Amino acid sequence: MSQAATTAGAAPAASVASTEQYNYAIVKKFAIAAVLWGVFGMGAGVWIASQLAWPFLNFDIAQITFGRFRPVHTTAVIFGFGGNALFATSYYVVQRTCHTRLWNDSLATFTFYGWNLALILGVISYMAGITQGREYAEFNWQIDLIILVTWVVYFLVFTMTLLRRNQPHIYVANWFFMSFILATALLHIFNNIEVPVGLFHPDSYPMFSGVQDAMRQWWYGHNAVGFFLTAAFLGMMYYFVPKQAGRPIYSYKLSIIHFWALIFLYMWVGAHHLHWTALPDWVSTLAATFSILLLLPSWGGMINGIMTLSGAWDKLRTDPIMLFLITALAFYGMSTFEGPMMSLKSVNALSHYTDWTVGHVHSGALGWVAMITFGSLYHLIPRLWNVNLFSLKLVYVHFFLATVGIVLYITAMWVAGIGQGLMLRAFDQYGNLAYTFTESVVFLHQPYVVRAIGGGLFLTGMVIMAFNIFMTVRSGIKAEARARREAIEAEARTA
Amino acid sequence: MSTQDNKKPGQGEDEVKTTGHFWDRDLCEYNNPLPRWWLWGFYATVVFALVYWILYPAWPIGDGFTKGLASVTYEHGDEEVTTHWNTRALLYRDMQTGEHAVRQRDMLEQVAGMEYAEILQDADAMSFVNAYGQGAFGTWCVACHQVGGAGVIGQYPNLSNDHWKWGGKPEQIEEAMVLGRIGYMPGYRDRLSEQQINDVSAFVLSLNGYDMDADAVEAGERVYSGHDAGCIQCHGAAGQGIESIGAPNLTNDLWGLVDVHGAEDDQARLQRVSRFVHDGAEREMPAFSEFLSDEEIKVLAAYVHSLGGGQ
Repeated sequence: MSQAATTAGAAPAASVASTEQYNYAIVKKFAIAAVLWGVFGMGAGVWIASQLAWPFLNFDIAQITFGRFRPVHTTAVIFGFGGNALFATSYYVVQRTCHTRLWNDSLATFTFYGWNLALILGVISYMAGITQGREYAEFNWQIDLIILVTWVVYFLVFTMTLLRRNQPHIYVANWFFMSFILATALLHIFNNIEVPVGLFHPDSYPMFSGVQDAMRQWWYGHNAVGFFLTAAFLGMMYYFVPKQAGRPIYSYKLSIIHFWALIFLYMWVGAHHLHWTALPDWVSTLAATFSILLLLPSWGGMINGIMTLSGAWDKLRTDPIMLFLITALAFYGMSTFEGPMMSLKSVNALSHYTDWTVGHVHSGALGWVAMITFGSLYHLIPRLWNVNLFSLKLVYVHFFLATVGIVLYITAMWVAGIGQGLMLRAFDQYGNLAYTFTESVVFLHQPYVVRAIGGGLFLTGMVIMAFNIFMTVRSGIKAEARARREAIEAEARTA
Repeated sequence: MSTQDNKKPGQGEDEVKTTGHFWDRDLCEYNNPLPRWWLWGFYATVVFALVYWILYPAWPIGDGFTKGLASVTYEHGDEEVTTHWNTRALLYRDMQTGEHAVRQRDMLEQVAGMEYAEILQDADAMSFVNAYGQGAFGTWCVACHQVGGAGVIGQYPNLSNDHWKWGGKPEQIEEAMVLGRIGYMPGYRDRLSEQQINDVSAFVLSLNGYDMDADAVEAGERVYSGHDAGCIQCHGAAGQGIESIGAPNLTNDLWGLVDVHGAEDDQARLQRVSRFVHDGAEREMPAFSEFLSDEEIKVLAAYVHSLGGGQ
């Protein structure tokens, strides 16, 4: 290690100095927003899951029926909870690893208000029945433009900060954040090329139609998973896992190889969402094979994360934050194995249009994305406010509620999905289809009840986290006020 | 504990293997080689992909694409066509020569070739009718007539009881499916007074064994047979109904459009029937000959007949 690097690496010990050196104010805003969106978005999820189990819960109120509330749920958890957490951690990590303050405070603040305004408008418009009908891209065109501007500013702030780094090397977490920012810009723009009906009209006509539009949408949809929900959260993982473990990253070489393999391969696989449709067969083949090729590069991140802990496994006994981070990696490994399997045409023939897909998404979304975020926020928030976490016991409680919730959720969805898939392809001795669709829906009731319970446990954990964070932040603010008062008093005495 | 920054790593042998890059005080990275199993695993997926690409349509070239070595054979007219593997040909093949499709087609033709009387007597045929009908009914009928043909009172006829507006013989059920049905009873709010409507309703309830006010029943009978209402023309002098025009029997205490059995007492029953006479009703069942073949309709008619109340 060079002397220069050591000097540059020596951040000021006192965090009072840190708040001056780094822009923590913006990180705090995004971190709190992530927690609030998490409670709302997961609450919305449990609500619609309960509607599926007990349909009377829609109370015949159009605004809260499944059709309108489902995009509210996905938007709130992916872009609200996940997005705000990514803004928070990427702004934190890029400053800490570049040893420089975030470029341009006001533009950074703008990204906070732009992003959250777009999300709130989105939620309101979905409930009012305004939607593009494109999964995970339901925002109408005016909101698309707000997102576009916000994202370009995000790109600027992040890139300028990288360029102004006081560190010769760019840390691996930043590669992943950068690829996420670039790819999301590309995806958002291309998937929303459309002709508005009118300036004050929410609707628009998409540029493509038919199977081409479907391919465009799923190229977007799967890369939203790949870059937003995977690459970006790997960035989070590459900072918070070694930090929390106090261990070096397992392999620099592996991080380079799996990074490039991951971002190259992900772009090809979206069409596996359209197997057995009007999609040309060769597109199907490419999507399936590239999904298989993606398996090991995905696992590269898991290996690098989990092996970072080798030699410090005892931390799992004493550190619930580490439990979150490592469990997240385990779920990441599991769902990135499940995904390529489901992308094979023969497996997909069984799994597609069933709840197996929903279960798969949630083993990634709850198990990987939410768990790594919980761990990172538990690490991050005490440092932002320079206090200890209010309660580590509650972190344990959160961890077990979340884990049991996920397990209930995904096993219920395996049963529901595989069961329904088998029912819809079963024949009787005369060659008739043995079950009607209605019968398969009747079969789904019990798994749906279990799923709602699992989601409820996960939500309860999230609420406990919000309470823990609230108490932590409150004590941080109090301590800061006390310190300021004492400083003023001391000054008065000397005067 | 864990919420505090950790100590610097890299004592002893660890230090030798890191890349020498340092960030944020204590972030650094080892440079371990790629795990062998990981690398060989990745090579294995590459081999898998290559084999897949050789066998199946894969890479676009100009206006076409590589077709792959795998093939599918199916019938086109009288000819047998062999083509490169593709999902459309797979569908043709499955529908033409697939095990289940062939068996179902054979059974459908065999059963549809029999007379209704034979089908209803033949245990094997009825076994097929039940298996096939359950699926077809679930696909085409269940949205209105509900699971098991239970129907919705006031909306969709119950097919599992003895109440058949248009007749419950298999031929009549088949006709309903082929042609569809339009049922209509005019509302009497403009032709009869409230009093008359109440009276005729009391009379109709009395036909079904309900103990209504004798004066009202007597007055109601006059309205029923009289010129202003003309109930008698469709429902018949004794209230027995006329199947050919879909006018229901009013004497069997089976109620499709008015929820008489759900009412608490005679007063509530009277109110419900009166309201119906006041408003009238119009209901339509679509014709299914556009969607289903003659064979399918025949088997489905036998199935509906067997649901409970066939004649």
